[in-house]
Amino acid sequence: MNIQTLREAIFKRGIEEGFGDMELHYESNKKFSCSVFEGEVDDYAIAVDGGLALRGLYEGKMGYSFTERVDETSIDTLIAGAKMNAQMIDSSETEEIFEGSPLYERPDFFSDDLSKIKADDKTELLLKLEKEALSLDPRVKQVNYCMLEEYESETMLFNTKGLAKVEKTNNMVVYASIVVQENEDIKSAFKLLIKRDFKKFDYEVLARQLVEEALSYLGATSVESGSYQVVLKNTAAAEILQAFAGVFSAENVHKGRSLLKNKLGEAIAAPIVRIVDNPHLKEGVRSASFDSEGVATRRNVIVEDGLLKSFLHNLKTARKDGVEPTGNGYKSSYKGIITIAPTNFYIKAGANSYEDMIQSMEHGIIITQLQGLHSGTNAVSGDFSLAADGYYVKAGVIEKPLNQITVAGNFYQLLKDIIAIGDDIEFAIPSSSYTGSPSLKISSLAIAGENKSK
Amino acid sequence: MLDRKLVEELISVALSTGGDFAEVFVEDKLSTNIRLIGGSVENSISGRDFGIGIRIFKNLRSIYAYTNQHTRDALVKVTLEAAQALKASGISKDIDLRREEPVNLHRIMKRPNNVVFTEKLDLLRRAYEAAKGYSNEISQVYVTYFDEDQKVLVANSEGTFVEDERIRTRFSIESIASKDNEMQTGRVAPGKASGFEFYDEIDVAEYAKEASRMAVTMLHADLCPSGKIPVVIDNRFGGVIFHEACGHGLEASSVARKSSVFADKIGEQVASEVVTAIDDGTIPNAWGSANIDDEGTRTQKNILIENGILKGYMIDRLNARRMEMDITGSSRRQSYKFAPTSRMTNTFIAAGKSTPEEIIANTEFGLFAKEMGGGSVNPATGDFNFAVMEGYLIKNGQITTPVRGATLIGNGPNILKKIDMVGNNLGYGQGMCGASSGSIPTDVGQPTLRVQEITVGGRREE
Repeated sequence: MNIQTLREAIFKRGIEEGFGDMELHYESNKKFSCSVFEGEVDDYAIAVDGGLALRGLYEGKMGYSFTERVDETSIDTLIAGAKMNAQMIDSSETEEIFEGSPLYERPDFFSDDLSKIKADDKTELLLKLEKEALSLDPRVKQVNYCMLEEYESETMLFNTKGLAKVEKTNNMVVYASIVVQENEDIKSAFKLLIKRDFKKFDYEVLARQLVEEALSYLGATSVESGSYQVVLKNTAAAEILQAFAGVFSAENVHKGRSLLKNKLGEAIAAPIVRIVDNPHLKEGVRSASFDSEGVATRRNVIVEDGLLKSFLHNLKTARKDGVEPTGNGYKSSYKGIITIAPTNFYIKAGANSYEDMIQSMEHGIIITQLQGLHSGTNAVSGDFSLAADGYYVKAGVIEKPLNQITVAGNFYQLLKDIIAIGDDIEFAIPSSSYTGSPSLKISSLAIAGENKSK
Repeated sequence: MLDRKLVEELISVALSTGGDFAEVFVEDKLSTNIRLIGGSVENSISGRDFGIGIRIFKNLRSIYAYTNQHTRDALVKVTLEAAQALKASGISKDIDLRREEPVNLHRIMKRPNNVVFTEKLDLLRRAYEAAKGYSNEISQVYVTYFDEDQKVLVANSEGTFVEDERIRTRFSIESIASKDNEMQTGRVAPGKASGFEFYDEIDVAEYAKEASRMAVTMLHADLCPSGKIPVVIDNRFGGVIFHEACGHGLEASSVARKSSVFADKIGEQVASEVVTAIDDGTIPNAWGSANIDDEGTRTQKNILIENGILKGYMIDRLNARRMEMDITGSSRRQSYKFAPTSRMTNTFIAAGKSTPEEIIANTEFGLFAKEMGGGSVNPATGDFNFAVMEGYLIKNGQITTPVRGATLIGNGPNILKKIDMVGNNLGYGQGMCGASSGSIPTDVGQPTLRVQEITVGGRREE
C-alpha cells in the first residue's frame, strides 16, 4: 500500500470513527555511516526507515499515535491509538490542525551532489584523517573515534484541511576524537563537522586542529577555587545556550518553567547581546521552510540590544498570547508530540577577535570544553555547574592548561554579565535545535578546583 | 515476528560474500506516554516501533543494516547491500536455526496494554494532588506515565533463534517550587521491568511528596561550597558515581581498543579494598534486566571488582574477538536502529559493613549528597562528572543545612581508591544511559559511601 492510498484510507476511517480534523506526518530516512580504526574500516552501516504518525481531533481533543509498520495494519493502529489518547486529554487548551500559511519560502536544503558521493570516497576520507592525525606528533596515541554519517530525510505533512507539504534535506557529519599521551598523562580532544558539501571536509585542517588542541591540554592542572573573569570559547558558549534555550519557549513561560515570564520588552541581557532564530540559514542543520504543524518558518529576533523581543511560539501558544505563530512548532520525529523548539538559534557575532579577548584579560580563565551538560544544568532555575577544561590566563597570555575544574553560575545572570562578544561564531553538536555562539567574555563565574591556600 | 525460513534465508544471504558471522534482530514494540501538567492531562501518545537489524562480521569488521520495510524482497535487498559492503567473496550455505526458549526470570502480572486507561489517569491525578498539596510554594507539577512492551527476536549463523518480551513501566514526577523571582525543582522517577502491578508495590503519592520536598528544600538552600572536600554519597541513585567513574570504562567498547584507563588492568588493585562492584542483568524485574541480551545471549551476573581487584569487563560478541575473551551477556541497544555493543545493565557497589549513621558521625566536615542527577565520563582519560540535586553540609559528624545542587568531578582510577567507607544499606535507582548503541534503561546502585576527597563544583567560597 503506498502512502497516498494509505492516507486516503486512514482519513476515511477516521471520519467514520468520529474524528474531526486530522493530520498525517510521514517521514522516510536513508542513512549511511562508517568508521575506521587502525587503518581498517571497522564499522559500516546502512539504513532505510521511516514512520507514520496521526494527529486528530476526537470529541474536541487531540489524539496522537504512530507506527513504524507502514502497511494496511497502520490504519487500525493509528485510528484506535489516536482515539484512546484523545480520550485521556482533559486540558481545555486544545491544539488545532493548520490550514496553511499564505506564503512559504522555497529554500533548498538538499544537495544532489552530496547524495552521489561514493562510499569508497567517504571511507577514504576517514582513513586519510586517521593517518594524518597519527603522523603529526608521536604523542598521538590513537584516533579513538573516526566516523562519518550521512543522512537524507523526507518529511511529508498532509491534513484534512487541504495542507500538503513535502521537504527533503540531507547532511554529512564527520566526527573524530584523538587521544594523546605523555608518560602517564592522557588527554583527548574531539571535533564534529557538519556540511552539505563533501569538498568542505578538509582532513588536514581537522587533524591539525585536533592534535593541537589535545596536545595543548597535556600537563593540565587544577586551579585555586574562586571567582574569575572567564572567556567561554564559542562551542562551549553555544552548548550553554543550547541547554537553556528552552527558557525562550512560550510553552515553558506559560507553564511556569521559565523566569522570563512578563519580561517581554525588558532588558534580560547585556546591551551588546543579540539572539536570533533563523530557519533559513543556508548551512543550518535545522533549516526548514515549514515547522511540524505546517506553519511557514521565519527569521525571529529573540533578543535585540539586550531586550527580550519575542518568545518562540507554536499555534497553541501564539493563540493564547494573541500573537502571530513564529514557526517553532516542533515534534522530535513522527514519534513526538507538538512542543516548541528553536531551529538554528544563535547569539550574533560581535566585533572582538578571540585573541583580543584573551589579551585584554589580566587574570582569568578560558573554558574550551564542558562535560555533563545534560545533568549539570537546571533549565528551570537557570543554575549550572559543569566539569570543564581550558586554560589559565595571566597578563593577557595563556599560562597553563586546566582540567579537573568546574564552572558554575546561573544562565539568567550570565546573559547580563557578558562584557565582550567574539567574531568567531561556531555551532554545538545539534540536538532538537542547532545552536551557535561566538566566544563570550563573562565578568565573573565561579570556578572550583584546588582549595584556597590559607 | 518474522518467519523462521525467511530469517534463515537472510542469514544465508548475509554470509554470501565471505562474512564469518551474521545476525538478524527483529523488534516490535508498543509504547504509551501520558503527561499531566498542572492538574490536567495535556498529552498522550502511543505507537508501535517495528524494524529489523542485520549484522555481519568478518574478522574485526562489522557491517550493520536496518530497515522497517518488512517484505521478503525489501529485506533480501538490504541484506545483500550490506553483504556487498564486505567486498569479499564467499559461497552461501544453508542455515538451520534451532528455537531456544529463554527461562523467564521476570514475571509480568498485569500487562499495561490490558489496563483500562482510567486507571492510568487515576495514578497521574493522585500523584499531582499529593505533589501540589505538599506546600503552597509548589507552583507547578509535571507527571508522566510510561509503559512499553518490546518483543525481540534474535537469530544468528551459529544456530541461535530466540525470542523474548520485555515489559517496562516508569512514572516520573517533577515539582517546581517558586518564591520571588526564583524557582527550584525536585524530581523522582521510579521504574521497573514489570507490568502495572508495579503500582501495587509503590505509592505514587509518596514519590510525589518526595519530589515536592526536594524542590521546597532547594528553594530555601544556600549555595553549595566549592573545592575539594569529603563527600558522603547516599544509597540508591548515588551509584551513578560508580556508573560514571568506572562502569563505562569497563565496557568492551572502549577496553577492546585500549582507549579505556582500565584496559589491561585485570587482577590489579583499581579501587580501595572496601569496593566490590557487580553488573547483574538477571535481578528479577529490575529496570535494567532482561532474560537475554540484544545478541540473544542469556544475561548473567558479572563481578567487575572484588575487594578492590579488577575481575572482569562487560563484553559483546564483536569486542570479544578483539579482546580474545568470553562474552558476558551484556550486549545492548536502544532499538533495531542501533548495532548492539557492551553496556551496563544493573550496576552496583555491594553492601559493606558500616551503618550510614557511622559514616556521617565519622565525617567532621563535608557534603552529604542525598539525591543525584546524571553524569558523564571520558573513558579515555577517566575524567567523570555527576550532578548532586540535593545536598547538605556535614559539620562535626552531623547533617546540617541544605545546599543547592552542584556537579562533582574526579578521575575514575583516582576516586575509586578514595572510597574509604561503604554502608550496609544497598539500594537501587533507575536511569537512562546514553552511549553509542543508544539510550537504554539501567539501574545504578550502592549503599551510602564516603569519598575522602572529591572536587565539588559549588559557587560559594569557603
